[in-house]
Amino acid sequence: MSAPKPPKPANDSVTTPLDFGRFNELLLQSTGVGLAAVDAETCEVLFHNQRFEQWFPAVEDANCTLQTLLPSFDFEKVAARVGEGRPFTGEIQIKSGRRPLQIAVRIETSIRGDGQVLLVECQNISKVKELEYMIESYSRMVERQNRDLLKEKERVEKLLLNIMPKTIYEEWKQFGITTPQRYEASILMLDFVNFTEMSLSRDPPALISELNDIFTGFDRIVEQFGCERLKTIGDAYMAVCGVPEPTPEHPRNIANVALRMIRYLKRRNEAHSQTWQCRIGINTGPVVGSIVGIQKYVYDIFGPGANLAARLEALSRPMEITLCEDMARHLREEFQFIPRGEVELKGFGRKRIFSLDSGPSMSSTPSFV
Amino acid sequence: MSTTMFERYGGFATVSKIVMTFYDKVLDSEVLDPYFANVDMRRLVDHQTKFISALMGGPASYTDQKLAEVHAHLGIDSTSFDEMARILREALEEGGMDDDDVDNIAGEIIKRKSLIVSAKAA
Repeated sequence: MSAPKPPKPANDSVTTPLDFGRFNELLLQSTGVGLAAVDAETCEVLFHNQRFEQWFPAVEDANCTLQTLLPSFDFEKVAARVGEGRPFTGEIQIKSGRRPLQIAVRIETSIRGDGQVLLVECQNISKVKELEYMIESYSRMVERQNRDLLKEKERVEKLLLNIMPKTIYEEWKQFGITTPQRYEASILMLDFVNFTEMSLSRDPPALISELNDIFTGFDRIVEQFGCERLKTIGDAYMAVCGVPEPTPEHPRNIANVALRMIRYLKRRNEAHSQTWQCRIGINTGPVVGSIVGIQKYVYDIFGPGANLAARLEALSRPMEITLCEDMARHLREEFQFIPRGEVELKGFGRKRIFSLDSGPSMSSTPSFV
Repeated sequence: MSTTMFERYGGFATVSKIVMTFYDKVLDSEVLDPYFANVDMRRLVDHQTKFISALMGGPASYTDQKLAEVHAHLGIDSTSFDEMARILREALEEGGMDDDDVDNIAGEIIKRKSLIVSAKAA
């Protein structure tokens, strides 16, 4: 170790019982800061304190220069910076015993009599770095978790949109509740002839897969005509128009959907060995739409309008669409019906019923207004 | 939803102290030295943060399969595993956790010993 020359005390002219030389030396050696003085020309270490040696034991080796101690530093930059009279700062990771340490190094020039020396000051910033890395690690974890949560939220939203219309969902999200609302709407009820027998006699997974396929086809038709699929229960399919978006065209749209569902099934039956026959009931009337359930939400409609559609569906023969005169009145300009006489409908009295035969050209554009 | 230990002990503010204690103790351990000797400081801190957070039900989790996967190439022996379990216990205790929770976590770790240990004791 080069002999340290203790700096002169500032007030050496004053007689004092305290030995400043000794004091300064102790301070220099016991400080937590690593200090070294380096020849600016040769980079040879002229002086260092104990802390510096503890962190950079190689300083004791013969021919040791600052470059060998700080191999990751760009000494051209160091020289340029200190040449401008400004300090150069950098960091280096070293190992002290088993422990990795992060050391912040500050190099600046100092004029010493005939030449220049570089003062090297080293601080142990490991704790700061460790905390920094820990926060970094934690933030990344939280950010990832947030992204996952967001994805999950989107998935849940998508699921909820399957069981309730978007406008109802928005209301429910904003206020936590939805108000039941009354609508003038048209309702379509469909189910399959002999589905129960089919499901018992055939391979159930294949049957469900076909049902799923057909319902998906129905969904497309329903969407095309601005209607909503409300729900399916087993093999029953229920669609509605005018809820929750009111439209004066609801009877027309539902009638069009019904005709296209029949056409879709007929075409499908031509190409498949397993044929599917449905019954459809359509009706126009007042309904109340609301979310029901606390734990298991479902958006549903209630009221005579929906009940009558179900009754009419039960009266349909295979591949027939049944409606009663009130709805037929809305449609008579564009659609053709076959009268089926008068029937007694439980809860609704005697009604004249019709079967919907055909409508405006199938290729006509759907009406949404 | 039941609250996790992570939440009960005040979230990351508390957990960070446990992470730092654990980190220090791991580095001071002679037994564990070979495993961490050449690991970059940032990676090691990252690893310990995730590890402690996951143990306490924070925002990270590892399946048993993943645990086995990440430890497979390290050739960890039984002695080192026990040392790590001991250090973890100390860090959790010093972090102010209840004995029951410490036992709980230590138990969970020990249950997975066979997933982590891949080398015969020397």
